[in-house]
Amino acid sequence: MHLHLGGQLSWYDSQKRAQIEIHLREPIALRALLDQLGVPRAEIAIAALDGVAVEIENAIVHDEDRVDVYPPVGGGIFSAK
Amino acid sequence: MKYGTSGKILRVDLTTQTTRVETFDENFYRVYPGGKALAANILLRELAPHVEPLDPENILILANGLLTGAPFSTATRFNAIARSPLTRGFGESEAGGFWGPELKMAGWEAIVLTGRAAHPVYLWIHNDQVEIRDARDLWGQEPEFVQNKIRADHNDKLIRVLQIGIAGENLVRYASLTNDLRHFNGRNGMGAVMGSKNLRAVAVRGTTRYRDFAHDPRPIEELGRALAKKVKAHPQSWDLQDKGTPGLVGALNAAGILPTRNFRQGAFEHVDKVKWEAYEKELLTARRSCYACAVRCKREVGVNDRYQVSDAYGGPEYETLDGLGPNCGIGDLQAIAKANELCNRYGLDGISTGATIAFAMECFEHNLITTHETGGIELRFGNVDAMLALVEMIAHRRGIGDLLADGTRRAAERIGGDARFFAMQVKGQELPMHDPRGKVAVGLGYAINDAGADHLTAPHDPMVANPDSISFKGAQPLGIEAIPARELSARKVRNYTILENWTSAEKVLGVCFFGPAPRSFIQVDEIVTAVRAATGWDVTLADILQIGERATTLARAFNTREGFTRADDTLPERLFQPLENGALQGVAISKPEFENAILELYEQKGWTRAGAPTRAKLRDLGIEWVADLIGA
Repeated sequence: MHLHLGGQLSWYDSQKRAQIEIHLREPIALRALLDQLGVPRAEIAIAALDGVAVEIENAIVHDEDRVDVYPPVGGGIFSAK
Repeated sequence: MKYGTSGKILRVDLTTQTTRVETFDENFYRVYPGGKALAANILLRELAPHVEPLDPENILILANGLLTGAPFSTATRFNAIARSPLTRGFGESEAGGFWGPELKMAGWEAIVLTGRAAHPVYLWIHNDQVEIRDARDLWGQEPEFVQNKIRADHNDKLIRVLQIGIAGENLVRYASLTNDLRHFNGRNGMGAVMGSKNLRAVAVRGTTRYRDFAHDPRPIEELGRALAKKVKAHPQSWDLQDKGTPGLVGALNAAGILPTRNFRQGAFEHVDKVKWEAYEKELLTARRSCYACAVRCKREVGVNDRYQVSDAYGGPEYETLDGLGPNCGIGDLQAIAKANELCNRYGLDGISTGATIAFAMECFEHNLITTHETGGIELRFGNVDAMLALVEMIAHRRGIGDLLADGTRRAAERIGGDARFFAMQVKGQELPMHDPRGKVAVGLGYAINDAGADHLTAPHDPMVANPDSISFKGAQPLGIEAIPARELSARKVRNYTILENWTSAEKVLGVCFFGPAPRSFIQVDEIVTAVRAATGWDVTLADILQIGERATTLARAFNTREGFTRADDTLPERLFQPLENGALQGVAISKPEFENAILELYEQKGWTRAGAPTRAKLRDLGIEWVADLIGA
């Protein structure tokens, strides 16, 4: 899968990578994946799975997916509420 | 005892070609400590009501903030303030760069410009030596030529030149000021005011040091060193250094609030062509800084391909990137960079220019203007050549550019029909590239701001929505609470009011929006420490918030005197209609909620239901003299 850490989120990657290729042997919860990478949940405002906005808590990621996550600064929060 | 300032204001009467020095004392500075507060005080006291903005009687004030030139990151800003030719109200625009700090080092807190020179001139300030010099050979020239010529004439490459471009000479109502070619007082048409005075440039060279003015420079110098180390250790400042504002494009598109096709849409189908990854690959040549700022958020670009883009005028910020790009339906990054360069070269505000072109495109698509008016140009969304042609036509006031050079509100009035629905403006100033349908307090700021729609009246809702986020925690000492981005409620209004006071204080102190929390890495207590060290005053955070409130209240009083009312504190109708696409497709701002929020805002600010400050509020702020000016 391809993970894009938008904005300041790439600061949390040890190599400051914004684009990360990850091989997933089996599907994984997006939250667990981000926890493994050390990206704090509180800093993520928007997550998109293959270009479609998703709730981080519920999203499951497969090896063929593309995931974009963004922080709140300047951007909005994906919620119509 | 030193309290952070030389205590000197330079007065320049361009009609009589005379200059004089005015001094102020510490008691005065405690109430009007620089920047927006100092300038608003002068404008309100000295400008007669209803003076036409481009008449010689208008007053243009260039004012440093209390901390401008202090040796720590982001303390670089100065204000340009006058009655605005775009809004006819309180006009203001800030810039960073190097000019403000240089003015400080020359020993001046502000310059007050009145009158009109009989022929083009420029002002030359070398410490306390001031001359009004002939600029007839500079008029009509490009900024790079003007800057080089002035530096060569005085044999000093360190002279900082603030100037207008051709758009300012041509009185385009959203003409900008530029310093060092790359830093802009973009908004509100301050370039047209300077042009109307036949003043092409203000060149400054100063040789004193900040510590010559500060009460105790050591804590400020320590802060400067600490922040320089912290830039890369804090995610927000690191991101500003890494990507700058162009990094916003992808996030806003994913959130469904990337203004697209004149704010009809919130997502752009060609966004991958214009977001940061493409910018870095196709355009970026270097990162640049303002004076003494370790953040280095400015981008430098160069293109030698389908378009030739000079690296002299700075790269597109987010605002011009979206305004001349997706908001015009354009996904050609090189063309956007070229249009940005033209705006900067001609001295046009990139935000109003992009928004005005998008307006014209929508008018064209609705047959309100035709190829007859455009001179044969098919002015449709996505037409790159048309967008570039219009930038040229506006700057030179050629063809339909003459109409569009007066801004969307005036153009819509003259075009008639439904054109007014396509004019995305408040009080005559075009919206920046932030859609309040996804962050509603930005809409409150657009509506309430006395200078018209502006995105820097307060930090945006998402920054303070999550109680566990770094941005919220940074701003928590201000007394705010974490509230969802789209909630429009009394408690959101309270948050907005506090954050507006904080941001307004930044405009008085001369600190960039990209410095303090919640937007970035400077903590609230560090700002308090810096003000204390600079002045020797035992100020508190509450004092600093009141400094901010006083400045916005002076601006509000100016507009009240000019006849502005509650009816002017509104939003374009489109924002009450649903977005056509993207993650927030179908979402609109509720008009009843918005109207209630405006009244709530007035009440919390201590204003009348007509939106005017009360005498009691003015007394609380120590400016009761204003009450008599506005009949409060």
